[in-house]
Amino acid sequence: MSLTELSPVSDVSRAPTRDQVLGTNGTQGARRIGEAFARAREVGRICLIPYVVAGYPDAATSRAAALAAIDGGADILELGLPYSDPLADGTTLQRASSTALQAGATLAGSIDLLRLVHEARPGIPLVPMAYVNQVLGHGDGHDVLARLAAAGASGLILADLTPDEGEPLEALAREVGLALVYLVTPTTPPDRRARIAARSGGFLYAVSLVGVTGARTSLAPEVVRFVREVRAASPVPVAVGFGISRPAHVRRLRRAADGAIVASALVDALGRDGRDVGRMGRLVADLAAAGGAG
Amino acid sequence: MTELLERPASGTIERAPGTRRRSGLGILGEIAERRRTDLEAELARYDPAEVRRLLAVAPPARDLLAPLLRPGLHLIGELKRRSPSAGRLTAEGVDLVDRARAYERGGAAIISVLVEPHWFAGSFEDLRAVRRGVAVPLLAKEFVVDGRQLPLLRAAGADGVLLLAALHDAAGLRTLVRAARRIGLEPLVEVHRERELPRALASGARLIGLNNRDLRTLAVDPGLAARLRSRIPDDRLVVGESGVDDPAALAEWRALGLDAALVGEALMTAGDGAAAVEARVAAFVAAGREPAPSEDPAAADRLPFVKICGITDEAGIFAAIRADADAIGLNLVPGTPRALSEREAARLAGLARSASTPSPRRAAPRPGLARTVPGLRSLLVGVVADRQPAEAAALAQRLGLDALQLSGDEPPGSLEAVGIPCFKVLHLPSEAGRLDRPGLAELLVERARTYLAEPNCLGILLDTAEAGRRGGTGQRVDPALAAAVAREVPVILAGGLDAASVGPALRGIPAVGVDVASGVERSIPPRARRPAARRPRKDPVRVGLFAKRAKAARLDRPQLAVRPTPVDPGLLEADVRGRWGTERSFGGRYVPETLMAALVELQTAYDIVRHDPRFWARLRELGRDYVGRPSALYRADRLASALERRAGRQPGDLRLFLKREDLDHTGAHKITNALGQALLARRLGKRRIIAETGAGQHGVATATACALLDLPCVVYMGTEDVRRQAPNVLRMRALGAEVREVATGSATLKDAINEAMRDWVTNVATTHYVLGSAVGPHPYPTIVRDLQRVIGDEAAAQLAAVEGRLPDVAVACLGGGSNAIGLFSRFIGEQGVRLVGVEAAGEGIATGRHAAALAGGSPGVLHGSRSYLLQDADGQVVEAHSISAGLDYPGIGPQLSALYEAGRLEVLAASDGEALEALRLTARREGILAALEPAHAIAALPRLIAGDGIAPLPDRALVLLGLSGRGDKDLGVLGDGEERVADEAMT
Repeated sequence: MSLTELSPVSDVSRAPTRDQVLGTNGTQGARRIGEAFARAREVGRICLIPYVVAGYPDAATSRAAALAAIDGGADILELGLPYSDPLADGTTLQRASSTALQAGATLAGSIDLLRLVHEARPGIPLVPMAYVNQVLGHGDGHDVLARLAAAGASGLILADLTPDEGEPLEALAREVGLALVYLVTPTTPPDRRARIAARSGGFLYAVSLVGVTGARTSLAPEVVRFVREVRAASPVPVAVGFGISRPAHVRRLRRAADGAIVASALVDALGRDGRDVGRMGRLVADLAAAGGAG
Repeated sequence: MTELLERPASGTIERAPGTRRRSGLGILGEIAERRRTDLEAELARYDPAEVRRLLAVAPPARDLLAPLLRPGLHLIGELKRRSPSAGRLTAEGVDLVDRARAYERGGAAIISVLVEPHWFAGSFEDLRAVRRGVAVPLLAKEFVVDGRQLPLLRAAGADGVLLLAALHDAAGLRTLVRAARRIGLEPLVEVHRERELPRALASGARLIGLNNRDLRTLAVDPGLAARLRSRIPDDRLVVGESGVDDPAALAEWRALGLDAALVGEALMTAGDGAAAVEARVAAFVAAGREPAPSEDPAAADRLPFVKICGITDEAGIFAAIRADADAIGLNLVPGTPRALSEREAARLAGLARSASTPSPRRAAPRPGLARTVPGLRSLLVGVVADRQPAEAAALAQRLGLDALQLSGDEPPGSLEAVGIPCFKVLHLPSEAGRLDRPGLAELLVERARTYLAEPNCLGILLDTAEAGRRGGTGQRVDPALAAAVAREVPVILAGGLDAASVGPALRGIPAVGVDVASGVERSIPPRARRPAARRPRKDPVRVGLFAKRAKAARLDRPQLAVRPTPVDPGLLEADVRGRWGTERSFGGRYVPETLMAALVELQTAYDIVRHDPRFWARLRELGRDYVGRPSALYRADRLASALERRAGRQPGDLRLFLKREDLDHTGAHKITNALGQALLARRLGKRRIIAETGAGQHGVATATACALLDLPCVVYMGTEDVRRQAPNVLRMRALGAEVREVATGSATLKDAINEAMRDWVTNVATTHYVLGSAVGPHPYPTIVRDLQRVIGDEAAAQLAAVEGRLPDVAVACLGGGSNAIGLFSRFIGEQGVRLVGVEAAGEGIATGRHAAALAGGSPGVLHGSRSYLLQDADGQVVEAHSISAGLDYPGIGPQLSALYEAGRLEVLAASDGEALEALRLTARREGILAALEPAHAIAALPRLIAGDGIAPLPDRALVLLGLSGRGDKDLGVLGDGEERVADEAMT
């Protein structure tokens, strides 16, 4: 057996006939996400995707934060499901995750939050972000995906899942109508980027940098080119995340990307105790303004 | 001979048809041209009759090839006063004969003597003088431009001659090779450039030289010999030349399968005293020697059983014995080409018995089977087919044979009926006549098992059957089918093997041995008519080379399993997706996309390294010289008695062997993995190393490897572990590593791994992550397992040496599982060996505060792979609890998870208190301060002995326990030692 044959690069490369049964871009959830991107594009805006940690610092405040983010101008809302071992996350999101868990956050609590937000603002697609074990820890993941979909989620991002391991989950996601969003990074070879994009549902998450999540003061100059390349090879809209923290960043991405994801900066805006929902809402509004036409 | 002398074999000076005279030969061209001029006068007087007379009185030719056929790489010491590249090498008036004697005393296998006068200051007189002074064969280093030079060299005492491929075209070279052989001169055809290789091989020379120095330009390409070696079939002997001034380089050449190294300059400049020269020679000779069984006991276990079959004459018997064959086969099947009459067979058998000598390297045909031959001499086997059992046994008795080989259609039960030790041949379709019959492998396995169940069955031979002919047909066995059978039962591979093919066959098929007949025979002269002349005869060089290549094939890739492994393949190796288990449901690669490229890169690099003998040779060397491998295997009787009493048993029955990884450099098995991965990182071109550590042992090991290989090192360690394992933190810092504390989560190993992965995600282009356990995304579990399997491989061989068998149980503590999988790997396929893992029960599994991932967890995804872990209903990873930092981890590797789920791995647990007590008991009973981690394994032994919650041990049980590390780091946890060992009152 040759290990070169085993590369995930070749693993993702399936015959076109198989691609048709792979991926989740044909789901109900993907359509809702796609419509949100289309609405933003129509009015010349970049699709703004703020991120709120479910249960941080407690259930009620996180609900208020989620609504504030939507009212501040979110086109799609990403809801972080706190995890004990968030190895793709930097210190800000690690701390928020761990605070939420200590405050009693559970999967059931996160699903309740999802439902409440969905009922309050039904027009905004909700995309939870989690780690694989939160879905696969006790079985094949069907139960968790079904509960997320039933609560109103449109999609799902799993930080440690690539298409190499994603096929079984894609099948389950298709069953319940969820879009499974994949990530590409600057270390992803171009041919693999295209193959991942072809498998991603709703949109493609372009990680702007080589590293973990966290606010950065500046956006690396090569980001715009990277995003343009990714977008050129992607059949689905491309949203950029990791390190996007300031209105200026969003402004720079406006022509290059379809969407901008802001996470750690919003958690930072909530303050040390995580309760300054007003400040966070204002930052969302600033980011939305920066992403608008003009 | 007459023909040669009367009709010059190669070109003459005038015509030189076979000699290249074109320019582009640089200095070599000048030398060759000058040689022609020099010889002009001499060859003008060339008198065939005189030369014939000279040859007749020449000293008898010595065998140049025989010393090179022995295992390992041998030294050809070169004598030269000067060279065009280095100028003068010796003082005026140096006595070359004294030098030659020093070479001989130092162990040089062959001495090369320069004959060329102008550039090398050599002469025919030097050759004659050295010949008179030493007994080893001589290679004449001459620039042969004319066939008539050859008899002159032979007459001067040369046993071999150098032929430069650069100076001749293919036809000329072939003519010279034949001419030299005809007069007893063994030609060494030397290649300087890759494109010269085809004509060197086509010349028919058995000795091929790869010279790193191109004599056209004198430039040295130090990698040439290593590069071209793989392009030379294994049925040639290969000599590396030039560019070697450090004995260490020879170990690499040996690993690559070179048979000799020609060293000149480094020996000539060794100093003037004969003692200095001898010592230098001895250093080179030692570097080329194959590791002795004492240095690498695991090698003994890997050596294939080699049987030379169908010997028809005395020369064949001697060749097999010189080749150190494990068995010699005499054919007693009438009507077959190699059949012997009873009288012939009796004579050859008598000769073999008297000539064969005991050898410590002798491989056994069947592991675990008591030896049937006294004194470890070659086994004498008579081949019979379809004889009456009583008749066959009587024949064996009359001939004094050790065993019979039943090659016909003998039904099951025949072996027992014969009553003496027997091999049974199973006939397979050949590669050519391959039958894709489903179930054929299963059928053969079942048949083999039936025969193996007979008490006197020594083993099964797989041979080809072609159109009514059986055995000795030269047809190859279908390798896929052979591999499928060999995976299940111990088989000896026969059919179509030769020196060139035996290595690849043994690497691809886990056969315990090989059998050869036609592949090591002389070609039959086409004009031979008399039956005697047409009878196949063994070629001693081919026999020697076959045995050498067969044994080397298994020594150079220690990561390969080479014994039958009759378990589901998913328990032994990951599949292409890195999945383990009967359902391939463990392992895989669950990581952020950022790391995927690095994992692919690592996998690609490791795929190459995994099959690169140089990597393993380097690691073996480091293991021996730096780590202190093999680690001791110690029988701990006092500890065993105490544990038996504790189990309520009469002491003195249990034989408990501790595999002392605590004696490794840095105090634990972790160093083996750290060194291997650091070497791998260098291959990957990474300039920075990161690692995580729990108990600190892996951190110390990685810091050590990085200090040795000059790589900057950052170690992540949980704050809680920094507190518990303070001495190791100091050690890492002393070794130059940066220790970064991790305060998140439980601030233990799990969080250190998270943080190391975050670092890796951020610095993936420059950094290699040295993962310390057999966990993580593919290919880490495979890499760490391959590097650690030496523990069990060594232990199996050490146990076989003292007990003659494998253990009943192998026991190891389970954290992430690197020491456990390292100990277990050798035994997974051994159905008679139980595997018992001991998890940390912490404060008790019932309390929920433990680290028992298998007993108290469930499958999920942690640190990049699917395996058992401690988790809550939401899939949140639950903190582990153990007094032992090395076991304080909520997960376990995917291969161990697979073994557990398949029921191949049994699991026990030991609490914090039990481990502490076991640590104290071991210290006081044996004077061994074990680490808390293996103390868990010791603590569980009373339950194993008593059969408490687990199947009990058999009587006189042989238990192998992995003592993975030493306990100095745990002294702080031990407290003031006031607690008494409960057992003491009872002793």
